Amino acid sequence: MNFKKLYSTTVFILISILCFSQSVDSVHFVSKTSNLKLSYNSSLIYPGVRTGIELPIKTMYITKVKKSGSTKVLAKDQFITANISWYHHPNFHDNIYLTSGWTTRRTKSKGFFTEFSPEIGLSRTFLGGTTYKVDNNGKVTIERLAGYYYAFVSIGGGLGYDFSKTKSKPFMVFSKFNLFAMFPYNSTIYLRPAAEFGLIYTPQHFLVLKVRSRNIKKNI
Amino acid sequence: MKQLLISAIVLVLFSSCQKEKITIGTNVSEIFYLDNAGASMRIDVEGNTLSHTCLLFVHGGPGSGSEFYNTSYISQNIGDKYAVVYWDHRNAGASQGNANGNNLNLPQMTEDLKKVIQLLKSRYGQNSSIFILGHSFGGLLTASFMTTSNYQSLVKGWIFVDGCHNYPLNDTLTREKLLTFGHQQVALNTNTAFWNEIITYCNNHPGNFKLEESLQLNDYGADAETYIPEVKQLAYSDFVKTAIKDDWPISSILCNYLYSADARIIGELAVMQFSTSLYKVTTPTLLLFGKYDFICPQEMGDDIYNRISTTNKRMAISPISGHYMMFQDETFFCNEVNNFIGLYK
Repeated sequence: MNFKKLYSTTVFILISILCFSQSVDSVHFVSKTSNLKLSYNSSLIYPGVRTGIELPIKTMYITKVKKSGSTKVLAKDQFITANISWYHHPNFHDNIYLTSGWTTRRTKSKGFFTEFSPEIGLSRTFLGGTTYKVDNNGKVTIERLAGYYYAFVSIGGGLGYDFSKTKSKPFMVFSKFNLFAMFPYNSTIYLRPAAEFGLIYTPQHFLVLKVRSRNIKKNI
Repeated sequence: MKQLLISAIVLVLFSSCQKEKITIGTNVSEIFYLDNAGASMRIDVEGNTLSHTCLLFVHGGPGSGSEFYNTSYISQNIGDKYAVVYWDHRNAGASQGNANGNNLNLPQMTEDLKKVIQLLKSRYGQNSSIFILGHSFGGLLTASFMTTSNYQSLVKGWIFVDGCHNYPLNDTLTREKLLTFGHQQVALNTNTAFWNEIITYCNNHPGNFKLEESLQLNDYGADAETYIPEVKQLAYSDFVKTAIKDDWPISSILCNYLYSADARIIGELAVMQFSTSLYKVTTPTLLLFGKYDFICPQEMGDDIYNRISTTNKRMAISPISGHYMMFQDETFFCNEVNNFIGLYK
């Protein structure tokens, strides 16, 4: 009985794979302009701003052809990103962090997209109040620009809409959830969630780069 | 040039956030930091600074943070008369730093406490009257402070609430209280499964406790008071509401707590005691305990009461509270604290 089940499952999987034939039609280089990004960078209820640049490194167009002949095009873009972000947590700290990351974005022909991006960087906090030092004689002095440098890593995922796909407008709107970690924070790791809501603008000729482009055709 | 200008603006903005502001008034709320030995510790001053009298909360844990004590009841009933100071220890609450775990030890925290008091006096007047209030582990820290050098001369009074000054003694007393109370409850046929488990554990672990046994007794002690109908149970939803309202850095509190709860200091504390040096204490002392506190039983207070040298001492027991008197019997707590400060400020 078990062997029968295994056999039928294997056959089903093989048939499924064979039904989806895939072929790389072409690989070439195309010129792509870079994106500029601006977003509201809220750590739950605390305000912040984030701005950055997305440099394209790879693009892929997957054309799915159905038996009926209708097609669907899915774009997969990859970017190297550089960002500067800030948030303000009253009485705790202000945090400025510079990050660099890799973003992969899958955009459907109707313009909806999802994205995923890990980042690494450096954070500098500024404590949320006057900071004092007291020496061994009890003398009190104020420490200017008190705060700490931390290593920074984050991971985020989000969704959005690309207006260039249907309305030929050079921008996208998106929302994204990020979880970041700073360390060493009191000899441990500081974790913090952040939500982003923003705009990605694609100027016509801004940092144009030649990127590898693949076109793949899939018959479903 | 542009970059230079932007950098200058950023620096000015953050400098202005950290500009010194000292408010003398009856309804003050201000936060500042003390930077010492690799830690920037947050200090929140609330209430009446015009009184030039400060009640400094030394929280428990280690690692749990001080903002939990900042309740509206305490604000309205102590903060209206005196300044109430909530200090986050190093590696606790909203305190910040880099790789500073090596400094998380009792002697360093005792030095931190001394500097917090020196800072308060610098801000609110050298003649300000400071009262320190140690709760739970804060009891041990304040006991260390009171018996180190002449540090006690910096304060007008020592308030000890559901605290511990001697961990080995504490474990012994917790075990005894759990056993005694457990047998009574079993005889009354009340929550027998729970109490029988505790009785069995206590019988199998008679003394000379290892760290794991000490932590287990502490856990049983915390659970035990939740089975006592007379004890007001903590409403965690109230803490959540306050956390949001008062901008608590929740993830910092959590990360610091998780680190401290597993840090080397826990093992060091397990064998620490100040009973033998309590004779040095000549400062007025108030000892407050909950009748149903199994974590730090009231006999801990007896040990302090009998050993300190001051004659200005009082011990009071709340008949309806466990380990968290300031939340479980607020009226009793505030009355005792206010009377004590009123007497010795």
